[in-house]
Amino acid sequence: MLNILVLGLGQCGNRILDAMNREAFGRGGTFAKYYTRQKFPASVKTIAINTAINDLKGLVDTRARDRLHVPHLHGVGANRTIGKRVFEENKEIIMSEIDKRGTFDLIFIITSAAGGSGSSFAPLLIRELKETYTNAPVVCITVLPFREEGSIFLQNAAFCLKDVIDEKPTGVLLVDNQYLKKYAGDIKSAYDKINNTTARRLLFLIEALNSEMLMVTDLGDLKTVMNGGIGIGTMGFYEASKDSTIKSAILGSFKPSGLLFPTNVYKEGARAMLIIKGDKKYLDLDLITKTIEELSTEIGQVFKGVLVQRGRPRVLSLFTLNSVPELEKLYATAAEAIRFEKERRDRSRNQLDSAFSHIEDLEPIY
Amino acid sequence: MNGRRILIVVAAVALLILVLPMTVAGEEETTNITIGVNEYVVLNNDIYIEVRDVGTVGISYAEVWFRSSQDAVGTTKNLYRGDVPAIYISGTGLKIEVTLDYIFSNAASFGITSSKALYVTDRKAGKVETEPVTVPKLIIKRTIDPNEAEIGQTVKVTLTIKNTGNGTATDITLAEGTIAKTYKDGCPSTIDDIAAGATERIEYDLKIGDDVQPGTREMPASVLNYKGETGVSDSTESQSSVLEIIAGEVLLPELTISTDPIDYVVTCGDEVPMVVTITNVGNATSEKVYVKGDLPHGVRLKGGELEPIYESIKPDKSEEYEVTLVANEEGEHVVEMNVMWADEEATAVFEFRAEKSGLEKYYVYIIAAIPILLILLWIIKRRREYSY
Ligand SMILES: Nc1nc2c(ncn2[C@@H]2O[C@H](COP(=O)(O)OP(=O)(O)OP(=O)(O)O)[C@@H](O)[C@H]2O)c(=O)[nH]1
Ligand SMILES: [Mg+2]
Repeated sequence: MLNILVLGLGQCGNRILDAMNREAFGRGGTFAKYYTRQKFPASVKTIAINTAINDLKGLVDTRARDRLHVPHLHGVGANRTIGKRVFEENKEIIMSEIDKRGTFDLIFIITSAAGGSGSSFAPLLIRELKETYTNAPVVCITVLPFREEGSIFLQNAAFCLKDVIDEKPTGVLLVDNQYLKKYAGDIKSAYDKINNTTARRLLFLIEALNSEMLMVTDLGDLKTVMNGGIGIGTMGFYEASKDSTIKSAILGSFKPSGLLFPTNVYKEGARAMLIIKGDKKYLDLDLITKTIEELSTEIGQVFKGVLVQRGRPRVLSLFTLNSVPELEKLYATAAEAIRFEKERRDRSRNQLDSAFSHIEDLEPIY
Repeated sequence: MNGRRILIVVAAVALLILVLPMTVAGEEETTNITIGVNEYVVLNNDIYIEVRDVGTVGISYAEVWFRSSQDAVGTTKNLYRGDVPAIYISGTGLKIEVTLDYIFSNAASFGITSSKALYVTDRKAGKVETEPVTVPKLIIKRTIDPNEAEIGQTVKVTLTIKNTGNGTATDITLAEGTIAKTYKDGCPSTIDDIAAGATERIEYDLKIGDDVQPGTREMPASVLNYKGETGVSDSTESQSSVLEIIAGEVLLPELTISTDPIDYVVTCGDEVPMVVTITNVGNATSEKVYVKGDLPHGVRLKGGELEPIYESIKPDKSEEYEVTLVANEEGEHVVEMNVMWADEEATAVFEFRAEKSGLEKYYVYIIAAIPILLILLWIIKRRREYSY
């Protein structure tokens, strides 16, 4: 059985982690935690880490002892510089808390890129984890902000993503709030939907990695996929309708509507992994193999895992990209915002300085 | 009166002897002749009548030897007073019928009847009694006092014996009548001589036996046998008496047993005091009183002696004791208490209801509450586990 560590950083990361914990209770709903135990498809340890205690209190399905408060009043106020300092100051506490949970075969870090705590902790944590758990792949799930959330979030996202990539994790999987805004009208419902979707896909993946499969994919395959392209990717998902073929289900998982980050897989995809689950009657292995062969001609290496499980065919796609036009757009916007911010600040500074100049050489007289 | 008649008779005999020969003939004429012992008269020169002996064996008798000129041997007969006439026929065919009228101390007086006229033709006489014969005559009267008595009581019987004769009564024996299952105490069977004109009182106790049947009882007459100085025997008897025997008050112990309190609701496991009272409501002391207690299933004795033995309980007295019982099982419990004395017994029951103990009553709820409590604890634990 795989030992998997999932770390949720900052409010966003905490919540997605909480959603995973909720999923682990099954279909019991709100009260499930009072009568049943969490069942993860593997040996999964979760820790929610945050500087804001209120964010930790807001969690519902994560055990209290799996919530680690790194004290710094009410968060770091989206300030990554402070965030980095706080992490360095509390590194030992954080790492020993992780250490208590044993050794790991695979580590997921979930964080928003735009906030302060999560976005600053993530790169530093990747470094530490890579040092401590040398053999465990570290996959960072990074949530991108709504574009209209402001220049600070945008620049945080830009710098965070850069910092993360610089630390060379096994891979980065993007979740784009902006792209997934379509899920719901209001922000709160959108968050819930995004969190649940992300949580489910991660669990789907974990379950597949930990199971006996009809066609095998494993941790090694995952590493290979994550190493493809620029090491950045995302996930797609498709649940087939009753009478659709397995082929249409596989292809469905690459469709933009099922992706967590907007991209053209056929165009940008570097490597992919397909995990197919469903009743045996749907699982036409020949057709699966043929379909994947077709895909490989367009995408490159496609790994596949087939898992017999009750229900209609569901397909999770996980892939890395060769190029990320959407990211470029984001960085461009961010740079523009930074420049604009800088200019405005300089201008304000100048105005203030000229205002102050009026009292130069003067002393207050009483 | 008898005495005087005897005197007259004796005088007449003497006169007759003087006017011999005397005609005693006539059709079926009865001739009265008194003959002394060892003396004889000769009738019609033919029949010799000789008195050999006189005496009394219950009644007076005379031993008489009849013979005649042609029957030298003759015949000796015992004549009893009041008996049918003795018949003697002489050798020549003269028939006489003889009855004994009286006896005297040394003579007998006969009535002799024949179809032929009888003459005393010869006589061998001793000296004629010139002194009057003294004869006792006893009269006995009996009273019972009281003549109405209860079973077990003793009554006094008084015999009053009066000698109305002119001689002393001797050798007096008393045969006293008897009522079945009554017992005489101090009743003599022989009585001292009673002088003429004297009265003797004899008292004795008559105890009415315990097993006698009540009712009216006749006590047969007292019979007195006695003799006079002349040796002549006589007897007399009293009237029979009546004794009314009443079924008297029977003295018996009678015990009652009671328990207190009755009807009592207790809780299983609690002590239940049972007070047992045994009272002698009879009129006699009861010896050896046993008490037996029958505890029902589910009830046990916690303290005290359930089955005491009392050596005796006097009339109107009570014995009381207390025991402590404990019911182990719920339900109606009946304790049966028996008191036994002689061949009798009496029963009392002690009833009470035992209910489940407080804890037992809520047992079901407690049992039901445990899982709820556990669930609650579990929920609290889980809440704490998941609240930060
Ligand atoms: N998908 C998703 N995004 C969220 C959620 N909560 C916050 N975000 C996004 O995360 C970004 C803000 O980062 P947070 O995670 O709130 O910040 P943090 O890591 O807690 O850091 P500080 O609060 O500044 O200390 C914004 O872009 C939000 O849109 C959430 O529940 N789901
Ligand atoms: Mg926060």
